Amino acid sequence: MRTNGTGTQGSVDRRSLLKLAGGSMAALGLTAAGCGGGSGSDGGTVTIRYAWWGSDDRAKRINQTIELFEKKYPKIKVKTDFQPYLDFWKKFNTQASGGNPPDVFQNAIGFLRKYDAKNVLLDLSEQVKAGNLRMDGFRAGLDTFGEVDGKLLGVPVGSNSMALVIDEKVFDKAGITPKPGWTWNEFHAALDKIRDTQGRAGDSGMYGVMYLYDLYLRQHGKAFFTPKGLGFTESDLTDWWTKALQGVRAGTYSDPKKVSQVKPKAALSAGLSACEFTWDNFTIRYTSEGKSEYGLAPIPTTDGKKTGQYLGSLMLSASKRTKHPKEVAQFIDFMVHDPEVAKIMGYDRGVPATTAQYEAFKPTDPVNQKIAAYEQQLVDSGVLEQITPHPAGADIAEAAFLRIAEEMALGKSSVAEAVQQFFSESKTALGS
Amino acid sequence: MTPVQTPAAAALPAEGPAGPGPGRGGAAKGRSGPGARRRARRENLAGYLFMSPWIAGFALLTAGPMIASLYFAFTDYNLFDAPRWVGLKNFTDMFADPRWRHSVDVTLWYVVVGTPLKLAAALGVALLLNQKRRGQGFYRAAFYAPSLIGASVSIAIVWRAIFSDDAIVDRAQRSLFGMDVGGWIGDPDWIVYSLIALTMWQFGAPMVIFLAGLKQVPRELYEAAEVDGAGTWRRFWNITLPMISPVLFFNVLLETIHSFQIFGSAYILGGQAGGTCGPADATLVYTCYLYVQGFENSRMGFASAMAWMLLLAVGLVTAVLFWSQKRWVHYEEAAR
Repeated sequence: MRTNGTGTQGSVDRRSLLKLAGGSMAALGLTAAGCGGGSGSDGGTVTIRYAWWGSDDRAKRINQTIELFEKKYPKIKVKTDFQPYLDFWKKFNTQASGGNPPDVFQNAIGFLRKYDAKNVLLDLSEQVKAGNLRMDGFRAGLDTFGEVDGKLLGVPVGSNSMALVIDEKVFDKAGITPKPGWTWNEFHAALDKIRDTQGRAGDSGMYGVMYLYDLYLRQHGKAFFTPKGLGFTESDLTDWWTKALQGVRAGTYSDPKKVSQVKPKAALSAGLSACEFTWDNFTIRYTSEGKSEYGLAPIPTTDGKKTGQYLGSLMLSASKRTKHPKEVAQFIDFMVHDPEVAKIMGYDRGVPATTAQYEAFKPTDPVNQKIAAYEQQLVDSGVLEQITPHPAGADIAEAAFLRIAEEMALGKSSVAEAVQQFFSESKTALGS
Repeated sequence: MTPVQTPAAAALPAEGPAGPGPGRGGAAKGRSGPGARRRARRENLAGYLFMSPWIAGFALLTAGPMIASLYFAFTDYNLFDAPRWVGLKNFTDMFADPRWRHSVDVTLWYVVVGTPLKLAAALGVALLLNQKRRGQGFYRAAFYAPSLIGASVSIAIVWRAIFSDDAIVDRAQRSLFGMDVGGWIGDPDWIVYSLIALTMWQFGAPMVIFLAGLKQVPRELYEAAEVDGAGTWRRFWNITLPMISPVLFFNVLLETIHSFQIFGSAYILGGQAGGTCGPADATLVYTCYLYVQGFENSRMGFASAMAWMLLLAVGLVTAVLFWSQKRWVHYEEAAR
C-alpha cells in the first residue's frame, strides 16, 4: 500500500481506483469482443469447424485425416471438436439454436428431418452441381441415403447393418450354427438350449433395441417409424413386450439388473449372454472388451427369407449458416473419396461408403474381415431394402423406447403401463 | 453476537444489516451544505460503479433469465422456433406425466431421508469436536474437508467407482453380510442410498454451524444440571437441543432447500445413458428431469414450468418450516 505515492496509508486514492475500474471494464469488453470470433477467413485462408462424436481412438484417426486434407488444401484450416454421443447432440443443439453450429459435422439418419425442420442443414446438391462434391462411386445405393424430400442433407461415410453378434465359443459348445433364413422359433429354441446347457442367458435382452424391433416390424410389413410418427400400434408393442417379459422371467434373456450393473460394458462381452442384436461394427468393441471370440450371425426371419435389414450409415452434414459452403463441400468430398483416408479410418465408422475407399482398405484382422464378409453377404443375397425415413424427434422416441423397456424388464412398471408411457412420450417427441 | 441473531440474520440475508450500501446514505448522514451533498453524490456514484459488475451480472445472468423463464413456462419453446403461448398446458402436462411424478417421488425420498441423516451426522460430529481435546483444530479441518470437494464432479465419479459392481463396497458387503447386491450403482433399489451416503459425507458446513451454536451454550446450565443428577442423554435432550434449536432450525432450512436442488451428484452418479438418470430412472431427481426435458428433449417451456413449480414447492416448504418454529425453536428471549 505504501508504495502507491499518491495514497495515504491503508487507502488508495479514489481517482486511481476509478481508472483501474474503468480499465478493467474496458478489458472485459475487449475479451467479449475477442470471443465473438469463430470460423472466418484471414488472408485467403479459410477456417472451417468440424465436430463429431466418438472415442479418443476415432479422434486420433480423424486428426490424421485432417492433416492429409490440410496438406492437399493449404488454404483451408480445420478446427475440430468432439464429444461422446449424447454430449455431442446437447452441445450441437445449443450451438445450432444460438446460430453458431459447426460448419461440418457427423450426422445420423435420426437427425436429418429433425434439423431440416429447424432449418439447420445445408442442401449440398448445389455443391454437387458446382463440382465441389462428387456423389458417384457409392456402394449399395448409399448415395441417396442422406436425401430428404429431394434435398441432399448428408453424405454417408460408411455403412453398417444390424446383426446378431454371437459369442462363438458358447455357440460352438452348444452345437448351434445359425443359418441365413432361420426363423424366430429356431432362434428361441437356440436361446433355450444355451440357457439349459451353457449356464447363461441366451440373449442380452433385445426388447429395448429400436432398430431390432424395426426389423421385426418390417418382416410384418410395418416399420418403427413413418415419416410422420410411429408405424405400429399399442397392441403390437404389448405383444412384443409381453413376450419379452416372459423371456426375462424364464432366464432366456439376461437378468436386466445384472445388465445395468455391468454398464458401460455390454452384457455379451461381460459374459452375461451368448448373443446380442446390435450394429455389426460393434463386434470390434466387444472383441476388445470381452474375453471370448465374437462373430456375426444372420437376423432371424418370420417367413424364412425376409430379414427386413437395411444399411445404416454415419454421414457428414454441413450447416446452412456456414460462410464457406464450397470449402465444406471439398472437405466432405475428400473425406469420403480419398483412399488414404480409408487406410487411416479403417472400419471405425462402418465399411467405407465409396468403392474407392472400400477397395483401398482391406482388413487383415479376423474381426474386420468378418464384418466385411457379413455386409458383402447381405448385398449378394439381396435381402437389403431401403431404410424408412425417421421423423423429427425420432432420437427422443428411440431413447424413450430403450429406457421404458428397461424399466418394464426390471419390474418397475407393468407391460400395459410401459406401452402407454411410450406412446404418450413419443407423441410429445414426434410432435404429431 | 449471540446465537439468537445468527440464524435469523443468515437465513434472511436480504433483510440483515446490508452494510453502508449506496443509496442508504450512510456517508451523507450528519452533514449538510451543497458541497457535502455533491460529495455524497459522487461517493454514491463510485459505490454504484464498484457494484456495477455485480449489478450487470445480476441483471443479465439472474433477473433477466428468471423473467424470461417465467414467460417460457407458459409457452411451447424448443430453442429454434419462436415461443408459442400455450397457457397452462405445460403445468397440466406435468401433472399428467408419470415420469414427472416419479421424479417428485425420488426427490421427496431424497429430501426426507437424506437431510435428517446429514444433519444427524453433522450434529454428532460437532458434539465430538466440541470436547476439549488435543488437536481439535486438525479434526475440525479434516471433517470439514469433504464438504469442500464433495459436490464436485470428480468426487461423484469416484463415488460411482466405489459403489459399482465388484468394487470395494460390494466386496465388503458380500464378505461381511453375505449379501450379493452386485454394486449399488447398477441396482435401482440401492443407488439412491449411495447418493444419500454421498450427501451425508458432506456434513461439514452444518457441522461448523452446529459447533458455533454449541460454543454458545452457557456452561453453568450443564453444571447446574449435573448437580441435579442429570445424565448425558438428559443433558443433551433438555439443555443442548433447546439451546441450539435456532441453529438447528437454520441448518434444517438450509439443507432442505439444498436437497431440493440437488443435481450434479445425482446426474453423474446415475450415469448419463440416453436421457435416463440411474438404472430405471432411480436417481432421476427433479432437477435431473428438468435438465433432460430442457436440454435433451429441447422442451424449454416445459422445463421452465418445472423450475417455477420447484420454486413454489421450496417456498411452501420454507413457509411451513418458519411457521413450525414457534413450536420447537427456543430463542433466548422466550426461554427467559
